Amino acid sequence: MSDDVQKVILQLPANAEYVDIVRLNLYGIASKMGFTYEDIEDMKVAVSEACNNSVLYAYGQEDGLVDVIFEVGPGALSITVKDEGESFDGLDTPDNRLTLHDKELNDVQVGGLGFYLMQALMDDVSVVSEAGKGTVVTLTKRLNFSEEKV
Amino acid sequence: MNTHKSEKFHAKTETEGNVCTVYLIGELDLSVAPDFRLVMEPLVGDTGLDLVINLKDLKYIDSTGIGILLSILKARHGMDVKFTVTEVPGHIQKLFDMTGISKFFAPQENSH
Repeated sequence: MSDDVQKVILQLPANAEYVDIVRLNLYGIASKMGFTYEDIEDMKVAVSEACNNSVLYAYGQEDGLVDVIFEVGPGALSITVKDEGESFDGLDTPDNRLTLHDKELNDVQVGGLGFYLMQALMDDVSVVSEAGKGTVVTLTKRLNFSEEKV
Repeated sequence: MNTHKSEKFHAKTETEGNVCTVYLIGELDLSVAPDFRLVMEPLVGDTGLDLVINLKDLKYIDSTGIGILLSILKARHGMDVKFTVTEVPGHIQKLFDMTGISKFFAPQENSH
């Protein structure tokens, strides 16, 4: 395999109906690269959460677009989810506050789990959000060849 | 038996005596969350029912779906009535463990 990073780019309406299309493409690309079933499941959840954020928060009631860029590298897959809507806030909250581990049911707030899942399921997560210019989320998963050597 | 269908997700409800089991089939994500809420709405408030959600045929769930399960948990807990989640597939259990929702599904939480 060459060291070059190859790109697959998808552009979709920022609509919940299209998020499964992203998962289907992710499945195709990740399985072609040799990711395990478990890694693919993890990435499906993380990438969907990034898309959900764009669908829910970026454009309000207006129509908008989401770009999904798959970067296929020799040892890793990076997926960038990009919108040009309102920026996504709430990223300053420490991760542990978003989970339910230390909470009683009565204190639990519904919501806020999506971002936590992205971080927990991927090797690297970067979020760049600029007021009025949208949000770019990049999720990276490394291929682990430790068990099956090619 | 009621069947609620959408293309990639549907919920099948079976009632036997006072036990109502809702089978979730397919992919529960943001796009079908309103359908799922609609199915659950009349059941969640029914204090005469033991409510069970069976996940054996659920292929995928996102944070929206987990959030709905959490609201059901809270509502049922508030009314002090039974709510159980059964036959959770491995990759979904992993998400439940990660988010911390599993402890609320533990049998002792629901057996009173």
